[in-house]
Amino acid sequence: MRQYRKWGWGLGIASVTAVIAFGVASWQVNAAPTPGASPGAEQPRVSDPDPGPEPTAGTGNDALTSAEVEKAREIAVTPELKEKAKDASGAAGPEFLSADIVDTDGGRRAEVYLYDYATNNLIKQVVDLGGSKLTDSYSAAGLHLPASAHEVDTALDLLLADPLASEFKDAYAKATGSQFAGKDGLKTTAHVFKAQAADPAVAQCGEHRCLRLIVEAKGRYLDLGHLIIDLSGRTVARLS
Amino acid sequence: MTYRKTAGAAAALLTVASLGLAGTPAAAKAPVAVAQCAASSTVKETLPNGTTWQLCWRVQDRAGLVLDDVFVSSKRYPTPVQVLDSIRLGQLNVPYDSGETEYNDLTEYGFGGSNLETLGGEDCKGGSAREGSDGGPEARRRKVLCVSAEPSGLAYRLKDYNYETGADKLYSKQGHDLVLRTISKVGWYEYVSEYRLADDGQISVRLGATGDLSPGDYVKADRGWPIGKGARDYASMHYHSAIWRVDTNIDGKGGEKVEQYDTKTDGRGSMAAKLKTSMTKIDKEGTFTKANRRWWRVVSEASKNKDSHKRSLELVTGADDRYEANPATTPDVTFTEARGCEKFATDNADPQCKTMKTILDYVKDKQTLKNPVMWVRVGFHHVPRDEDQSPMPLHWQGFDLLPRDFTDMNPLTPADRNGVNGQTDN
Repeated sequence: MRQYRKWGWGLGIASVTAVIAFGVASWQVNAAPTPGASPGAEQPRVSDPDPGPEPTAGTGNDALTSAEVEKAREIAVTPELKEKAKDASGAAGPEFLSADIVDTDGGRRAEVYLYDYATNNLIKQVVDLGGSKLTDSYSAAGLHLPASAHEVDTALDLLLADPLASEFKDAYAKATGSQFAGKDGLKTTAHVFKAQAADPAVAQCGEHRCLRLIVEAKGRYLDLGHLIIDLSGRTVARLS
Repeated sequence: MTYRKTAGAAAALLTVASLGLAGTPAAAKAPVAVAQCAASSTVKETLPNGTTWQLCWRVQDRAGLVLDDVFVSSKRYPTPVQVLDSIRLGQLNVPYDSGETEYNDLTEYGFGGSNLETLGGEDCKGGSAREGSDGGPEARRRKVLCVSAEPSGLAYRLKDYNYETGADKLYSKQGHDLVLRTISKVGWYEYVSEYRLADDGQISVRLGATGDLSPGDYVKADRGWPIGKGARDYASMHYHSAIWRVDTNIDGKGGEKVEQYDTKTDGRGSMAAKLKTSMTKIDKEGTFTKANRRWWRVVSEASKNKDSHKRSLELVTGADDRYEANPATTPDVTFTEARGCEKFATDNADPQCKTMKTILDYVKDKQTLKNPVMWVRVGFHHVPRDEDQSPMPLHWQGFDLLPRDFTDMNPLTPADRNGVNGQTDN
């Protein structure tokens, strides 16, 4: 505490003497004491600016705003993809994975990543956000981005509907000490699994899109590392 | 990369206003360090010794925290000079010694999106929790970046004896870092992406790991360490090979060159060994291996300090376990020509260049380096210990970017030491 107060004084002095130091003025503007903080309480040592509302569009290489993601998605999913591509649950239209700003010198462009379960292709659509148009389109098999929440949910459902669900339930009981009674309260994430060594049960993983689930229940992780869910083939396999 | 001149007018106005310099002589002289981002994604802070760091930040779905357009200025050198175009993680490869498990945490899970933690508890005590998009599919805005100023210990110390007055003068100063960090939860592990921007111009890049040990990876004694009662459960040893992607842009001029320095013994002098230092130019893409007294720097051809020395950034590495069992995590440092679709050091997945899967693919054609990107691998072989439960104390791995001749003197030089530059006339 004492050390902190000294620091505060040092900055105050600096703001008087260092007339040409950049940023000092902005500190004065932004670093208003935290409302309601009691005297002597620790104050932010740096500015704490109000972020304001989310802008419609970002500046430069800013992350895409939610409005820009929505716009990029709309343009990226062409009528053809809407009709012919399939998502993880087999519904029409590709699985949306992610959208990111393209680092360029020009205007703002987004790259939108989609997965088509009908062809097992990862698709990258480049969208010119200013011009509202699709500028480039690429696709390839055997390439994977992290799973979407929809894919994780779909994988968990496939596992629970599979005979290997008994192993999931055993793992649940072992981790939590109680019987599995339903999905509520599970925290599920997943990582994309690609077969490395020859394992006949999962050799297709890589060309297919496969997930390994990480499930947390009652603060404990379930030991599920040996169960692989093949979303493309809609099957569940056990690593030997 | 080349300095972009496409800042929105609004951003430029905000920057000028926040500098608070309109109408002062300094404002007239100093070129405006234009933020390439909105005010809410700008970090601009002045440390107690007068050094100001200014940059843009964002979170990318897979890479997590990205710093763009990093500029530094100081009381002594008030004109902001660009240091980096961007810096971010390029992979975190985690193989277990059991041989049964290997993760590419950035590309199989991602450090952004729902894996990026909203700051809470004491995550950002004493600092400012900044709000921005988590980089996920819904671009949710949350408080995810902690910005803080932290003491870094003694910055310098010099006791100078004045022969004229017969008195000592003590120069002693505490230093500070501007610290930026985000936290990503990947399964049971939680990772801290941290950048420490020092008031002397050094950039320290670190990854911290905490959370919990893997609950499932227990193995035989020769691949693990007994955790828990007796000698029953051996938690698997494993690796964290972190690889960062560093794109320099010194003084906004780009086009840096890469140099390797080696110092070798060279016979004997009258008392000790003589050492000789030589420089090797690295003008083509390639992978490189550390050796005793070997170091690399990225040096500007176009930007010099006031002593007419080329500005450069030196790569400084410390503790580092090489994972030689995977060819892509074996190189200590890799230099590649910048290319948009070469995003990750391993497990790269861009349909635009589908055969470019690892840094080894990137360097295969040995392109001439015009805009070099430096990939720095720092490995940590984690041997679990009882204290890792629970939560696990943070363990860190990283490297430093040391300014070499960025300024003609220590940017923190006190005025009384102004004349001490080079050999004194005796």
